[in-house]
Amino acid sequence: MVILKNGTLADLAAIVDAAAENASAIEQLSSQGHELSLADAYTVQQQSVARRLQRGEQQVGIKMGFTSRAKMIQMGVSDMIWGPLTDAMAIEDGAELDASRFIHPRVEPEIAFLLKKPLTGKVSLAEAMSAVEAVAPALEVIDSRYRNFKFSLQDVIADNCSSSGFTVGAWQKSNVDIGNLGMVMEFDGAPVQIGSSAAILGNPWRSLTAAARLAAEAETELQAGWIVLAGASTAAEALLPGVHVKLHTQQLGSAEFNVGEQV
Amino acid sequence: MSNMINETILEAAQMLRQAHETGIACEPVRDILPALSLEAAYAVQQVNTRHWVEQGRRVVGCKAGLTSKTVQQQLGVDQPDFGVLFADMFVGDGADVAVTDVMQPKVEAEVALVLERDLDMPQPTVADVISATAYALPAIEIVGSRIHNWDINIVDTIADNASSGLYVLGNSPQKLEQLDLRLCGMVMECRGEQISYGAGQACLGHPLNAAVWLARTFAEGGTPLKAGDTILTGALGPMAAVTPGDRIEARINGLGSVRVSFSEEK
Repeated sequence: MVILKNGTLADLAAIVDAAAENASAIEQLSSQGHELSLADAYTVQQQSVARRLQRGEQQVGIKMGFTSRAKMIQMGVSDMIWGPLTDAMAIEDGAELDASRFIHPRVEPEIAFLLKKPLTGKVSLAEAMSAVEAVAPALEVIDSRYRNFKFSLQDVIADNCSSSGFTVGAWQKSNVDIGNLGMVMEFDGAPVQIGSSAAILGNPWRSLTAAARLAAEAETELQAGWIVLAGASTAAEALLPGVHVKLHTQQLGSAEFNVGEQV
Repeated sequence: MSNMINETILEAAQMLRQAHETGIACEPVRDILPALSLEAAYAVQQVNTRHWVEQGRRVVGCKAGLTSKTVQQQLGVDQPDFGVLFADMFVGDGADVAVTDVMQPKVEAEVALVLERDLDMPQPTVADVISATAYALPAIEIVGSRIHNWDINIVDTIADNASSGLYVLGNSPQKLEQLDLRLCGMVMECRGEQISYGAGQACLGHPLNAAVWLARTFAEGGTPLKAGDTILTGALGPMAAVTPGDRIEARINGLGSVRVSFSEEK
């Protein structure tokens, strides 16, 4: 049963949306005395994204979170989380990121899927793979709206899984075996995170089948043309003003952006 | 070196050898050696290498250690170190190793190179190393420490043959020209659970950089690497401790896989 200190779930959605819109940190909902169920948290997420869509943003895909065992253990959870991506979050490959729209942004290396067919339900790996047009290296910018990047599971879900920006590199045919690709993320040419795509649930394809399952549980579907960010292959790295961020991925190429000087 | 230093080197070598033979870890040897003297540390290692060779052990190559930026920072150094490989340290792919065969064992996944030509020119370059390499193999290095609780600094680990234990080689030789050793992904699993991830870049930027460093260092030292030598270039990701019952598999993209399991004392 939901315990709201005051107001409604819609009020909470307005609070997290305003925090994202104004790039100003807020207290965790959980430490403000709101006790949300997972379903409540997803309702807050949905309503906050609805506010974005009302302002004219378009949903262009979804992101998966908690796709590494280490992260699941750290958060004490056994399932992934997900949240929508909108066109306003997209940063073109090689473009400059306006750092003033973030609170304390971090970046992590990911693998992205481009869907050519809708996907929902308990799909097999084969079905998931046949729904994919292309794969690409991607950088996700996460920016928790909560002070000090601290949150409970419900907090982070309500906050649209910290999603705030993403860059996708050139799309590649999806016949590359993406199970164990080396991924090196550089700041100004120096490696800051080195890992393997195997860190994404053992194989990033599993993240796509999980996304289809989560979509079905939410009585919706992943749509053709959407991007699915499969999850991070290493820990996140705090962004710095003026830094050039580049991800090199074995066989898939690279993705990059520059951070503006203003933070 | 003065006689007194010479004596402490022999004493440190004796401590490590005794730990190796009895299986009882010793105290750090840095306490009796000149502070932060890499020269003294390598002198200790050399004393023991010579001792083992006299006892009939065969040197089959070398290993690089401290090839990750993170580990170098932890130990406060800015260069790798090396140790020698003996034939009796080799373990076949999929073999079972008693945890007691290596003191305080940990595993790490690496790229191994096998040479088909001597690297006996002065200051070998990466071109020399590539030309001299017959093939690459996936490897699991089982590192260990003769020093109690892994309480090591740079001097301790060098003196202790770069904390070497055993090494496992996969059986799938690959030519260097078919490999992207910088971006090759690495994942290591224990009974299907992932315990370490990385890529070639984690080893001095590229495993061949580590091979060049070893080739130069051994050439300078007057014992150049030779045809047939095995070179362990250094870890591609964090090391992981092992216990009896663990079954480890490492996969390096393009190089294939290699595995080893651990049992109780035999």
